[in-house]
Amino acid sequence: MEKKNVILSLYPTTKLLMILLIAVSVFIIPSYLYAYAMFLVCLVIAAMGNVTKEFANLTIKGLFSLCILIFVLQSFFYPGTHVLWEWGFLAIKQEGIHFGLTLTSKVIAVGSSLILFFRITPVKDFVYSLEVMGLSPKATYVVLSTLTIIPEMKKSSQVIMDAQKTRGVETEGSLMVRLKALLPMITPLVLSSVASTEERAMALEARAFTVNKRKTSIYSIEKTGRDSFIRVLLLVLLILLIVWRVAL
Amino acid sequence: MSYIELKGISYKYPVGDEKVLKDISLSLEKGKVYALIGANGAGKTTICNLIRGFIPHFFKGDLDGEMLIEGRDIREWEMGDLAQKMGYIFQNPFTQISGTKDTVFEEIAFGLENLRVEVPVIKERVAEIIKLFGLESLQEKNPQQLSGGQRQRVSLASIMVMDPEILIIDEPTSQLDPQATEEVFKIINIMKQRGKTIILVEHKIELIAEYADRVILVEDGKVAMKGKTKDILSDIKAMDHGILLPQYALLGYEMQKNDRLHEIPVTESEAIGVFTKWMAGKEN
Ligand SMILES: Nc1ncnc2c1ncn2[C@@H]1O[C@H](COP(=O)(O)OP(=O)(O)O)[C@@H](O)[C@H]1O
Ligand SMILES: [Mg+2]
Repeated sequence: MEKKNVILSLYPTTKLLMILLIAVSVFIIPSYLYAYAMFLVCLVIAAMGNVTKEFANLTIKGLFSLCILIFVLQSFFYPGTHVLWEWGFLAIKQEGIHFGLTLTSKVIAVGSSLILFFRITPVKDFVYSLEVMGLSPKATYVVLSTLTIIPEMKKSSQVIMDAQKTRGVETEGSLMVRLKALLPMITPLVLSSVASTEERAMALEARAFTVNKRKTSIYSIEKTGRDSFIRVLLLVLLILLIVWRVAL
Repeated sequence: MSYIELKGISYKYPVGDEKVLKDISLSLEKGKVYALIGANGAGKTTICNLIRGFIPHFFKGDLDGEMLIEGRDIREWEMGDLAQKMGYIFQNPFTQISGTKDTVFEEIAFGLENLRVEVPVIKERVAEIIKLFGLESLQEKNPQQLSGGQRQRVSLASIMVMDPEILIIDEPTSQLDPQATEEVFKIINIMKQRGKTIILVEHKIELIAEYADRVILVEDGKVAMKGKTKDILSDIKAMDHGILLPQYALLGYEMQKNDRLHEIPVTESEAIGVFTKWMAGKEN
């Protein structure tokens, strides 16, 4: 990772504060336009950190399709009186649209800021900063294992899928076909993940992981003057947001 | 006082209602290589977990009998002291990578960081191990991207760098190809030369014949046979416990039917010795 990069070279907790401010601000400022704008802010930060492609991929593929679903459901089923369009028992209501916009804008703002955080912060740096803050090895292990189990599960699900493909189970094609292929996969996946978590915990123990509360580290990252500057800036922004909210 | 001693050990896991170890007594000496052999489910891994103290510190369950390391009961040992005294290499090469390090060098350093060793000392010791095990070409690689065999060698290095006196190695090569197996055994041999006490679970009987000093045959939670490698692996009775003897020993028994061999060989070099002598006898 390019260490000179203006975003990537920030200290992990500075990045976290930045992301938290974005996520929290959508609850300070109620407007959905503001919340949608936060997605653009995330996109700009992603671009500055050279992670636009991964960020856009995850948000558009995952988050947006989820939000379109939420939006459609809300506009039809949210209770309301201002009917805009009707067909049989289906009716789109103004209240539903408004609620749908508010809800999805918040989901998108919070979701994309979280995705952004893990795009611009290597897990290793994040864990390092947590340990420096004095978080116990047991707690960091929880963070770690959750973060490492996801790619691991992805890998083993691929292995199981391939095995099923060779046995003639259709794993590609329409959503229905894929869902059908998914079901017999879940049991071995969950079982193997549980078993490997136990072994992983013992393997960490074999490396004296829980022996000392504090550790030494051959890897180190440090806060710079820019971190302090950004932190002050974030604080100022937070105050401005609160003032804006009160003045509204 | 023995170095490692099991006295009348019986054990039942918290889940499952049968005892998986039944009245096991063993006495292990310092600096020897012990091979644990036996069918799947016999209890070999459980014995490893017990010696390392994962039973009872990690797995609860019902433990009877005495498990002593240097005369001190395993229950009285601190987990931290056990971590330094005994290294453990697991069967699965894919669960032993810490998952937080992005170079092999840092991965190997992980245990020493946990033990609070000073940074310059860590760097020195890691570099030394990398050289000893010939891992130079891997040291800048991401551990997540290594093959099974490479991971197993890195796991061995990660444990060896902590300089434990005792090494417990559970089926290190069961998921590896012959080439990678050989590489791993080269490393195990280096550890043996360094005087480590090694407890090795392995199915490849030829490798056991070559590297182990003593063999312990486990069957259904009990010790069925134990003794010098040569005595056990040339003993036809081991076949009754589901162990396939080394090729050389089988060949020896085959020849024994017609002719007298002065001994049953178990390794290649012994076979060469025995058969050369046999042929010399024929010529006379
Ligand atoms: N974590 C566990 N919980 C309950 N039972 C277990 C556990 N691990 C192993 N066993 C059982 O204990 C017995 C011995 O297993 P194990 O020591 O792994 O055998 P081996 O290593 O010789 O193949 C088996 O019957 C197995 O099913
Ligand atoms: Mg086993």
